[in-house]
Amino acid sequence: MRVMGKCNSHNPHNSYNSYQTMENPLLWLHGDCLNPHSPALQAHPDAPRVFVFDDAVLERYQVSLKRIAFLYECLLEIPRIEIRKGNVTAELAAAAREHICQRIVTVESVAPRFARLRASLQREHNLPVEVLSLEPFVELSPSEQTQLDLKRFSRYWNPLKAKALSLNQSFDW
Amino acid sequence: MKLKTDFTDRAELIAYLRETFSDAAARSPEVSDTRGGRRAAETALQQIKPERYAATRNHLKGSVTRLSAYLRHGVLSLAEARRAALQRGGAKAEKLVTEFAWRDYWQRVYAQIGDGIWKDRESLKTGWRPADYADKLPDDIAGGVTGLRCMDSFADELRATGYLHNHARMWLAAYVVHWRRVRWQAGAAWFLAHLLDGDPASNNLSWQWVASAFAVKPYYFNRDNLEQFTDGVYCRDCQHYRNGCPFEATYGELSARLFKP
Repeated sequence: MRVMGKCNSHNPHNSYNSYQTMENPLLWLHGDCLNPHSPALQAHPDAPRVFVFDDAVLERYQVSLKRIAFLYECLLEIPRIEIRKGNVTAELAAAAREHICQRIVTVESVAPRFARLRASLQREHNLPVEVLSLEPFVELSPSEQTQLDLKRFSRYWNPLKAKALSLNQSFDW
Repeated sequence: MKLKTDFTDRAELIAYLRETFSDAAARSPEVSDTRGGRRAAETALQQIKPERYAATRNHLKGSVTRLSAYLRHGVLSLAEARRAALQRGGAKAEKLVTEFAWRDYWQRVYAQIGDGIWKDRESLKTGWRPADYADKLPDDIAGGVTGLRCMDSFADELRATGYLHNHARMWLAAYVVHWRRVRWQAGAAWFLAHLLDGDPASNNLSWQWVASAFAVKPYYFNRDNLEQFTDGVYCRDCQHYRNGCPFEATYGELSARLFKP
C-alpha cells in the first residue's frame, strides 16, 4: 500500500509540528481505517495503538453484535492492538497517560464525529492530534479537486473517468 | 475499559463479545459467517472477476465482490481495489471501478454536508410531502413477517448475515419507502444497525436516491424485474404470487398507484 507523505500539500488535515516529533505518539485507530498497513502504523511501527468502541455510537446506531464481531476480528489482526470501550476521548486520554504519550496520531476520516472527537482531544485533554492522509481513490491535482461537481454522480465521474480507468496515472504532479 | 485481545478460537471470541456487548447481543445476537480482517479482505480481493462482475452483477447470484465491508472500514483502500480491478480486468473492469467510484463520491458528499446526510438533499419527486411518510419502521418489515416472500427473505438475510446484494437493498428500500410510505431515515437506520458495510454516507445517500431526495425520480421496480434477477426463487413459494402481489403491475400502473401527480 502506498502511503502519502506527511507534508502532502493538498490535504489540509496534515499538520507537522517539529516539537511534536520529540514526544511519544499514541496511535488512534478508528473504524474508517482498520488496515494493519495504515499510514499511522507504518509511520510509527513501535508506537502503542488503541481502538475504542464508542458507546455513544453503539447506542445511537443500535449496532448489532455481528458488526461488532466483524470489527473485532479486523482489530485482532493488528499486532499489539489495545481495544477499549467507553467514551472515546476519555479512553484515549487514559491510554495516553498509561503509555506516557503526549500526542495522538491517526488517519483521516470524513465523519463529522471524527472532527468533534479530534477537537475535544485537543481542547479538553491537551492532546494534539496529527491526521495522516490515506491514498486517494484517484490522485487529483489541486485544480481538479476544486472543480469537482458533486451535484450528481455523473458530474463527478465524467471528468475523472479516464484517469480512474488508467493504471498509469501519474503520481508526481 | 480495556477489552481482551487474546482468544483461542472464534467461539471464545463470540462468547466474550456476547457478554461484553450485552446490549447489542440482546438487540440482535446473530453473528455473520463473514470474517473480519485483512487476510479475509485480501482473499476476497484475489477472487474478484471484473469481467463477470460487469455481465452479472445485477443478478442475486451474480459475480459480486463482497469487498464492501472491508472497504467501508478501510481494511482495504479504494485505491488498492481500483488497481486490482484494472490489473485483473483491464478495460473490462470499467463497471467495477465505477462502483468503487460511487463510494468515493458518497464520501466526498459526506465531507461536504456532514450530518446533513440525515436530511433530504432535495424535495421529493413522489408527489407526497415528507410528513406523509411514517416515522417508524413497521415491525413486520424488520421482523420479516410481511407475508411477502421476497421482502421477508431479504430482512432475514440482513439480520442473519449483515449483508444484502445491492439489488436486494434497492428493492427492499423501495418497498419500505414507496409501498409502505415510511420515511427513508427509518429504513436507513435499520440497515446501519445490521450491515457489516454500514456506512452512513453510502447507506443514507443511497436511501435518499431511492426516495428521490437525491435523484430526479423515485426508484421503484415491478415483479418482472425482481423475478428476472432472482430466477423467481422467492415468487415460486410466495402466497401472494397469484393473490395480491403488490409488485405485479406495469411501471405505469405502479407509478399511478404509488405516487401523486
